[in-house]
Amino acid sequence: MKKAVALLLTAVMAFGVTATAVHAEAGFEEIPIFEDEEVGFMNVSAVYFQPVPMAPGQEDTENYNMHLECDVSAMENDLGYGLGDWVPYLTVDYDVVGTEEGNEAHGTFMVMSASDGPHYGANVSLPSADTYTVTFTFHSPAENGYLIHSDAETGPGGLLEDVFGEGNLSVTYEGWEYAPQEW
Amino acid sequence: MLKYLILGAEGMILTTIIAGLLYAWISGRYGNTGKYILHGFALCGMIAAIVMSYMKNTTSLVHTGTWNVRIFTVALAAALLLLVFGLIGMKKRSVFLDRLVCVMAGIYLAALLFYALPDIYAAPFNFSLGGAGVFSSAFFTRLVGLLLGVFLSILAGIATARIGSRSPRGLLTGVLVAAVLVNTVHQFGKIASVLYTRRVISGTTVFNFVKWSANNEDLFIYGVMAAAAVLPIVMWVRSFHVNEPYENPAQHRKIRAKWRSIRRWGSTALICSILGIVILSPVKAYANRPVELSPVEESILDGDNVYVPLEQVEDGHLHRFAYTTPDDITVRFIVIKKPNSSSYGVGLDACDICGETGYFERNGQIVCKLCDVVMNINTIGFKGGCNPIVIDYSVGDGYICVPTSTLIEHQDEFK
Repeated sequence: MKKAVALLLTAVMAFGVTATAVHAEAGFEEIPIFEDEEVGFMNVSAVYFQPVPMAPGQEDTENYNMHLECDVSAMENDLGYGLGDWVPYLTVDYDVVGTEEGNEAHGTFMVMSASDGPHYGANVSLPSADTYTVTFTFHSPAENGYLIHSDAETGPGGLLEDVFGEGNLSVTYEGWEYAPQEW
Repeated sequence: MLKYLILGAEGMILTTIIAGLLYAWISGRYGNTGKYILHGFALCGMIAAIVMSYMKNTTSLVHTGTWNVRIFTVALAAALLLLVFGLIGMKKRSVFLDRLVCVMAGIYLAALLFYALPDIYAAPFNFSLGGAGVFSSAFFTRLVGLLLGVFLSILAGIATARIGSRSPRGLLTGVLVAAVLVNTVHQFGKIASVLYTRRVISGTTVFNFVKWSANNEDLFIYGVMAAAAVLPIVMWVRSFHVNEPYENPAQHRKIRAKWRSIRRWGSTALICSILGIVILSPVKAYANRPVELSPVEESILDGDNVYVPLEQVEDGHLHRFAYTTPDDITVRFIVIKKPNSSSYGVGLDACDICGETGYFERNGQIVCKLCDVVMNINTIGFKGGCNPIVIDYSVGDGYICVPTSTLIEHQDEFK
C-alpha cells in the first residue's frame, strides 16, 4: 500500500508542477484578441486585461469585466507618422457582438496612457462567455482637428483625405472565443 | 446593498456547505483528531486568504488566474486522494491512513477557503461609494449586505454540519461525494478557462465546456445545495418515524429532544438553501436589471427653438427633453438646476464616450447609464470625460432656449 501512496503522491506533485508551469507575468498580463491587422496605414492589435481605474473621473472599475485596448501604430506612410509610432487623434469606436442575444458591448474608446505608452481603450462589461465578433471603426484624425502640412515644401506628401476620403476605416475580427476571467 | 448581499452569498455558500459536509464526515469517523486537523487547515486557509487579499489589492505580484489554477489543482488532487484513501480506509484502517484522510480533507478545505475568502475580505475596501466615505450610509448599507450574505453562508455551513453529523454514515458519504464532484466540475471549468484563454489548451470541445461552465456558475452552487438538501429532507422524514428503544421517560425525552434538534437544524439548512436560491435568482435578476430612463417631458417648440420653462426644472432633479429633427431622429437633451446655484446644466442625453446611452438620477446624483460613472452636476454643460455633450442654449424670460440647429447638428449621436 505504501507503494500506492507513493505513486499517488508523485502524481499529485507532477500535477502541481504542471500547474506551476502555467506561468504568467505577475499581476498584469495582456491577453491578445488579434494581432497585426492592417488597415490603411495602420497596424492594429487588440488585447484585454483586468479593468483598470483611469484618472481623472473613471476610477470606478466595479461594473466591468475587462479593459479592452486597441493598439494602433503607423506603418510606412506619407502622412508624417513615424514608423511604429502610436497614431494619435483618432476616434475609435468598438463593437463587440456575440452569437447570443444580449452578448454585446459598444462604445467609443478613450485615449489614455499606460506603462507601455498611449493607446485607445475602455473598461467594458462582457459578463458572458461566447464567440464574439470584434469591430473597430477608425474616424479620421481630422475630425479631432489634426492637420497635415499640405504644401510641397514642408508637408509629408499625403493627406488624411487620401486614407479617409471614402469614409471611416474598420477592422473586423471574427471568432474571438472569450470566457470571463477572474482578475 | 443587494449587490453585496449577492457577493457574500455567491462567494461563500458553496464553500461553507462543503465545509459543513466535510466537518460532519471527518468528525463522525475520526473524532477529535480529525476535527483538530480540519480546524488547523481551515485556519491556515483563512490566514493565507488574508495574505492573498492584501497582496492582490496592494501589489501587482499576484496573477489571480495563475493562482486559481494552482489552488484548484491542489484542491482537485486533495479531493482525489481523499476519495482514494477514504476507499482504502473503508477496507483497512490504520492510524497513518486515518491521518492521511484527515490531512487531505484539510488541504481540500484550506484550498476552498483560500480561493473564496480574499474577495470577501477585500470587498469593504473596494465598495463603490460614489465619492462617499466610510462614515456614510452608503458604506454601512453595503457592509450590512455583505455581512448578511456571509452570515447566511456560515449558517448554512453550520446547519449542514449539524444535520450531517446526525445523518446515516452512508448517506452523508454519498452527499459529500456528490457535492465534491459538482465542485470538481466547477473547478475544472475554471482551470480550463484560464488555460484556454492563455492558449495553453485549445479545441472546440474545450471551449464549449469553458463557455458552459462560465455561463452557468450558479448552477454549481445549486448543485451543491441540492446535494446537501438531501440530508435535512431525509432526516425530516425519518423524524416522523422514530422507533428508538428507551427504558425510561428520561431516555424518551432525550430521544425526542435529539430529533427536535435534528428537525430544527434541518429546517435551518433548508431555509438557508431556499434563501440562497432566492438571492442568486430573483434578487440577483432584480439587482442587475437594466436602468430605465425617465420619460421625456413636454417642451415648447416655437420656430427654430425648443423652450423649457424654468419653473419646470427648478426642483434640482434631472429633466429629459427631446426634439425630432427633419430626418426623423429624436435628439434628447437633459436639464438640471445646479445645487446652490442659479445656473443650469444643459447638455445632450449622450456623451462622446458612451454615445446615446443617456443619464439617470440615483440618490441625487447623475449617473451615465452605460459606464455607471457619477457626474459632477456642477460640471454638466462643460466638455470632458463622460459629461453630456455640450450644446448651445440661452436662459431668459423664464425659459431655457435651445436652438434646433444645435440639436440637428448632433443628430448623428442618436442613431
